[in-house]
Amino acid sequence: MNGFPALEVEKRRTVPRWLQFIAPIISLVLALVAIGIIFQALGIDPLFAYEEIFNGAFGSSYGFSETVVKSIPLMLTGIGLTLAFRARFWNIGAEGQLLIGATCATGLALAFPDWPRWLIMPLMFIIGFIGGALWGIIPALLKARWRVDEVITSLMLVYIASNLVNYLVYGPWKGPEEMGFPYTSKFSEAAQLPRLSWTRIHYPTLIIGIVIAVVIYLLLTRTKWGYEIRVTGENPSAARYAGMSYLKTLLLVMIISGGLAGLAGVGEVAGIHFRLRYPEGISPGYGFTAIIVAWLARLNPIGAVLTSLLLGGLLVGGDAIQISLGLPGATIFVFNGTILLFVLGGDLFARYRIRVKSKTEG
Amino acid sequence: MSDKKIWHVIALSLILVMLTAACAPEPVVETVIVPEEVEVEKEVAPTMKACFIYVGPIGDYGWTHAHNEGRLYVEEQFDWLETAYAESVVEADVDRFLDRFVVEEACDVVFTTSFGFMDGTLAAAQKYPDTLFFHCSGFMRAPNLGNYMADFYQVYYLNGLMAGALSQTGKIGYVGAHPIPEVVRHINAFTLGVQEVNPDATVDVRWLFSWYDPAAAREASEALIAAGVDTLAFTEDSPAVVEVGQEYTEAGTPIYTFSHYSPMGDFGPDSAVSGQLVDWGIIYEDVLMKAYLGVYDNSNLQDIDYWYLMREGGAILGARFDEPINPIFEDDLKAVTVTDAFLGEISVYDLIFTRIDQMKDPAMLFDPFSGPIYDQDGNLMIEAGQRASYGELLSIDWFVEGNIGSIPR
Repeated sequence: MNGFPALEVEKRRTVPRWLQFIAPIISLVLALVAIGIIFQALGIDPLFAYEEIFNGAFGSSYGFSETVVKSIPLMLTGIGLTLAFRARFWNIGAEGQLLIGATCATGLALAFPDWPRWLIMPLMFIIGFIGGALWGIIPALLKARWRVDEVITSLMLVYIASNLVNYLVYGPWKGPEEMGFPYTSKFSEAAQLPRLSWTRIHYPTLIIGIVIAVVIYLLLTRTKWGYEIRVTGENPSAARYAGMSYLKTLLLVMIISGGLAGLAGVGEVAGIHFRLRYPEGISPGYGFTAIIVAWLARLNPIGAVLTSLLLGGLLVGGDAIQISLGLPGATIFVFNGTILLFVLGGDLFARYRIRVKSKTEG
Repeated sequence: MSDKKIWHVIALSLILVMLTAACAPEPVVETVIVPEEVEVEKEVAPTMKACFIYVGPIGDYGWTHAHNEGRLYVEEQFDWLETAYAESVVEADVDRFLDRFVVEEACDVVFTTSFGFMDGTLAAAQKYPDTLFFHCSGFMRAPNLGNYMADFYQVYYLNGLMAGALSQTGKIGYVGAHPIPEVVRHINAFTLGVQEVNPDATVDVRWLFSWYDPAAAREASEALIAAGVDTLAFTEDSPAVVEVGQEYTEAGTPIYTFSHYSPMGDFGPDSAVSGQLVDWGIIYEDVLMKAYLGVYDNSNLQDIDYWYLMREGGAILGARFDEPINPIFEDDLKAVTVTDAFLGEISVYDLIFTRIDQMKDPAMLFDPFSGPIYDQDGNLMIEAGQRASYGELLSIDWFVEGNIGSIPR
């Protein structure tokens, strides 16, 4: 007919383990090659650029500490997303869940400035978790009950969360001593997370993140419920025939996924800013970057700890793109976007194969 | 392990985690332990490095663009000066850039050019006592942290005079970025100008909650026009509002606009009446010269507040440099007259230039914020014979009479 051999995409029956493991690595390398071409086109030696980025993120104690700081919210949020994505629930709204977590913790810190640390700190984490979880189950309910697409609802809820934060910091929560600026008052010392030495690493949140990664991993691999998540994700109707409750599974997944994003929000206000401010001031899109974290980790919660460090390093090392290499600040977005594209593409090729069909066959 | 056991382990570990958070030591008075790399030589060097942290892209054609022009100006002025900058720095990330500029780039003076950078700049000033910091548009202080601002309120007042004279509908719109004192002050000054010429005119406000969002600015402008507005001023770092004005004007509905921050006259040749222009270069020149000569050091910036107005040359009237008013509107402005208590009957055009002379006078013979000034509810906020103080202007959070917008509370 048209003289071209037809290409056919077909699903692999089984995805070999080695391929699952190697696919994201190959994707990452290919992404770096693609970005290298962009660097080359801009007149910068790609190897030099990568060296600068690597040194910026991991080459000095200062750079590495900042990488860890960045990785904390990415880790918590990313771990939650591995769970949601395993259930094939496309939670794009982690950013909103993070903001709500930050908001709830702030409310508590502002309401009880006299409470001692041993009381206020755990409560802030708990209420942050609850807030994020509540924000997370809205799209889950809508999906399970009325089959509303969660991509839309979870994303739209980000804007609602963001406007809620705006409303609070410009309105009722505006600190009286902040001269009209959209800041809440600063948290009491008790409500500020301790930091590691001279760094900005608020280590309690980091410890929580790592412990939770292990916990979720155990949940997924060792419990009946973990099995249910996987079945629900891979084949919802089979799960239903097997007597698994789609609603229950989805709700539990989103309570944890949203709750963990909420914890990330608590870490940011209690560990970095010590107050709530407008959304751009709290999170430069951690909830979205965490999507890359989860996919790069092949939806493995422990893997997410490592990939959050990688992404954190990329963000911190990305400073070098501007400062040392003199490229526009927006280059880092090209960088991140390219990596996500390649990782998602790599995932496709891991699960599907492409066959060239000769004309006669068709 | 059975399911139950796993849940026990999970519950236990969660409790452990909570305990870690709870038992973490109470913060001690912060002792600054600085990593080794910080030991950078800071003697009176023959050269100096000034670093700039920008909130937007340098190509925004607004705030950041203007600051960058200032940076380029000083770089050209002083051969002993080296500069570096970072653009599009998200406010949540400023601490990292501050660290990097001080530790790795060894900057002697760091300028942070967004009010959202204020917390971070103060923290950095305390962490690095040997570096000089200057924060733009804020109020926090430290021995090595100064404040600077080139403020537009006088220029906005002049724009308001023109808006009051030109508007046919008496409905004037303002597209505001963030509802913070700086923007509220500008909207008030603009409204005071409008009211001086046309006491029946109103100013309505739409907030964007963003410094740079051309799409939202366009939407807000169109919404205001749909509500009957024919004159638009704004605070947003792109020419979107002027472009909307030009489009409507070309389509037969004249919309008068006032350019903001950069010379946007070319985006609205038939629409942009005038606007506000800034010269950050002269502030940077003064700061850096004094820092270089040792007039400023890390112990005496506590009370340094640059507050450059028209008199100092920081704020300039016009949609283009060297053109205070778009000539095609001159006749219209000359045709409208007002009666001033001191000046008698005077055309708006002449009033504007009289006011410029008064405000540029070393004694600043006139200031827009001179009482009596009432708020939206008719409360007397500034008494007759009084002028708003620097402190009042810096924290103003109420709208003047004649403004029908609202400040989120």
